[in-house]
Amino acid sequence: MNPNKFFEAAKKAGISASQLHISGSSSTSISLFHHEIDSYSIENDQTMVASGIYDGKFGSCSTEKFDNSAIDFLVAGIIQSASNSEKSDSEGIFEGSPKYFKKNCFSKELSDTPIEKKISLIKDIEDKLFAYGDPISDVQTVTYAESSSFSEFYNSFGLKLKNKKNHFVLYAGVVATKGEEVKTNFDYDFGTDISKFDADAFSKKLCEGAIAKFGGTQCDAGKYPTLLRKNVFADLLGYFLDANSADEVQRNSSFLIGKEGAKVASSKVNIEEIPLLKGPMFTYFDGEGVAKINRKIVDKGVLTTHFYNRETAKKAGKETTGNARLAGGKMGVGCSTVTVKPSKKSQAELIADVKEGVYITEVAGLGTGMNANSGDFSCQAEGFMIRDGKLAEPLDLITLSGNVLKMLNDVKGFDNEYRMMLGGVGCADALIKGMNIGGK
Amino acid sequence: MISKQLALEVLNAALETGGDYAEIYCENNISEAVSLENGKVESSTRNLSYGCGIRILQGTNSVYGYTSDLSKKSLLALASSLAHRFTGNRLFTVKAIENAKFKIINKIKDHLTDVPASEKIEYCKKVSELTQGVDERIVRCIVGFGDNKKDIEIWNAEGETGKHFTNVEERGRLHIMAVAKDGDNLQSAFAGPGMSAGWSYFTDKLDWKNTALHTGKMAIDLLSAVECPQGKYTVVIKNGWGGVIFHEACGHSLEASATAKHMSVFSDSIGKQIANPIVSAFDDGTIPNEWGSNNIDSEGHVTQNNQLIKDGICVNFMIDKLNGRRLGKEANGTSRRQNYKFEPTSRMSNTYIAAGKDKPEDIIKDTKLGIYVTNFGGGSVEPTTGNFNFSASEAYIIRNGEVQEMVKGCTLIGSGKDILMNIDRVGNDLDLGQGNCGAASGMVPVNVGQPTIRVSEITVGGRGGELK
Repeated sequence: MNPNKFFEAAKKAGISASQLHISGSSSTSISLFHHEIDSYSIENDQTMVASGIYDGKFGSCSTEKFDNSAIDFLVAGIIQSASNSEKSDSEGIFEGSPKYFKKNCFSKELSDTPIEKKISLIKDIEDKLFAYGDPISDVQTVTYAESSSFSEFYNSFGLKLKNKKNHFVLYAGVVATKGEEVKTNFDYDFGTDISKFDADAFSKKLCEGAIAKFGGTQCDAGKYPTLLRKNVFADLLGYFLDANSADEVQRNSSFLIGKEGAKVASSKVNIEEIPLLKGPMFTYFDGEGVAKINRKIVDKGVLTTHFYNRETAKKAGKETTGNARLAGGKMGVGCSTVTVKPSKKSQAELIADVKEGVYITEVAGLGTGMNANSGDFSCQAEGFMIRDGKLAEPLDLITLSGNVLKMLNDVKGFDNEYRMMLGGVGCADALIKGMNIGGK
Repeated sequence: MISKQLALEVLNAALETGGDYAEIYCENNISEAVSLENGKVESSTRNLSYGCGIRILQGTNSVYGYTSDLSKKSLLALASSLAHRFTGNRLFTVKAIENAKFKIINKIKDHLTDVPASEKIEYCKKVSELTQGVDERIVRCIVGFGDNKKDIEIWNAEGETGKHFTNVEERGRLHIMAVAKDGDNLQSAFAGPGMSAGWSYFTDKLDWKNTALHTGKMAIDLLSAVECPQGKYTVVIKNGWGGVIFHEACGHSLEASATAKHMSVFSDSIGKQIANPIVSAFDDGTIPNEWGSNNIDSEGHVTQNNQLIKDGICVNFMIDKLNGRRLGKEANGTSRRQNYKFEPTSRMSNTYIAAGKDKPEDIIKDTKLGIYVTNFGGGSVEPTTGNFNFSASEAYIIRNGEVQEMVKGCTLIGSGKDILMNIDRVGNDLDLGQGNCGAASGMVPVNVGQPTIRVSEITVGGRGGELK
């Protein structure tokens, strides 16, 4: 659609300023099950989200139908949305930042690699997983998904921003069986260069991960020094990042109220927001069209800033941090990719002094087991005991409970096995002074 | 959304390389939502989701694609690209398409999309006023009403004569969230009653006043709740939304998407005892106007009342077309998808444990020491191992047959196989509760349900030490 036609129609209808965000993606996903392509999908997405100021108020509307009726639908939707709104403190439409840090994150090589080569890669992985043999009893799936996406942002002041990127995700799951005992393990990798993917190492790690779970039991309930695997720490950190939204803070719904500039974590914790990291998660403008930059969020345990959009920044007397996110018809706040600084210690060095502790490798049910307002949580977990500084017997069906802020304050250190997770948090395993484990 | 002629061309393009079944699923979904923050309208939006999914099956293999461009060129290109994943010769040509007829279960006269946003806003304001008025420590109150009207057309063929289904799904849901604050102590409570019904249900039948007051009261009560103990305890679970225990612990593991590939703890369980004989369970997509009910499923099969467990014996799974082929069984009206972006698969609709004989008060009276869970946030399961978790949003300690102090931060975990066998009391007070369930084919509206039940032992996780 021609954005100018929308802006003209919007202006004619009395919408004083407006913006149009057009995004879409094309994806292909292939799954194997027992040596056959069990599922193959081709996905073509496109969405237009239009916003504007009508009678001094903000309104928004979206559609996936890109035909001649779209402009009228969006204009009418903005007017209805703004007319019903009782929010009078809208910051209006943003004219544009002086400078943007655009990078090319589209890999032509990935896009040009024939699909048959990608299918042969997952067939190779599946063969390796089956070849592992007993006790690997089945391969649940091996999936290759590749997505190419675009995002275009226009406003009635003439701002035009475009971003195009692509990436792949490889995902596999195995089942290990010993008598009545059944264990599963899943893992994934993602990026823009499949030639770097190490199928041998991936398959071996996946099978060994499932086998290591055999004999998992519950430990005695109690408080233990706890090593959180990076994926678990990243999941929990996600709630800290949500709570750092100035919107949540200003609406009395965050455990970070009054904490900006204060110590919120141990001095070992350094967190940076890195939207400009080149790769699948790269983004250089926010939901208002404000330029994004990399910035420190937690510096040696001190919370340097909340995440702001223009409206929340104005309320707090600050500058926007480029964290606007348009969702559910309102301009909210969200964060992009985040990295937590690892240390130089190996995992063995990090836990060398732990006499009796717990290593949590997976959690489940955090979505409902978390009180996002208070940061209190309780969820299902599995992992291993740590005895005399070494990983020991497996643990299954235990619970992990605690508080996100307390956890960050109790961080004793990180190891050096850093990984960027698909969810946009990069970190290493974190050792926590003490966390509550429920079991026997 | 597309003409019969185009549907015929697309189906035939899809079947060109030996597919034995082709399906076109078109959708035009208008959704509206109003959201109030402390009584003031924060947002009011209208969104249109529009597109089409094409699926081809060849035996037990499937290919699926979707697009929001419903032009002839786009649909034929998509059908052709998908078809080329198979190598074979055409098995048949679709020559005609017949219109399918089915019974309308969800009859609605006063459509939610016809109600002006201003009326929904006034309704939400009344709800918000009640919730906020519960206590001055309610510092944030979000009340919203969301509804959608989804026009669906399905065209499918597995022979020379194809079928055409036209269906409409309409749903509405009230959302209430209250945040209570006392010093640094922040607690929240949520309620979300929904129905596949008209506006008069929400204004006249739903007890929205009580729901509004209860949500505010829960947030306030949680301020003084003590931390939940940890260990293995007897747990009594209240009727209605408490049925999420069956949904997570067992329901997902009875979906053919898990059982057909032998990826479920219940894969080979038909005819075997999987629960205490006092337990019977159903998945019933036919209850008029219920949140999880549908006239037809996402493949065009009429919905059914499927008994899953009879007196502790597993008698059936929820079966979609593709997994039905894997199992050698007919689909039973349980194939669902969030929207055209998802390939359909077997999913729950209104799933519940049937009523038993016990009075709920007797179940509590006969419990010496345990936990009484009256509301849940939700949970999840890994169907292959059967390990599940769910978190209680409202729970109390039971001592000597009496409900005592409220606890917070309560998570229940276990194995689906164990928990079904450990249900030792089933009440006579069956009720349903509404939720949205996320799985392979996206988020779908489901009812969970049960009478009050007691589980002799579940692992409880909390920060409150041992239960005394």
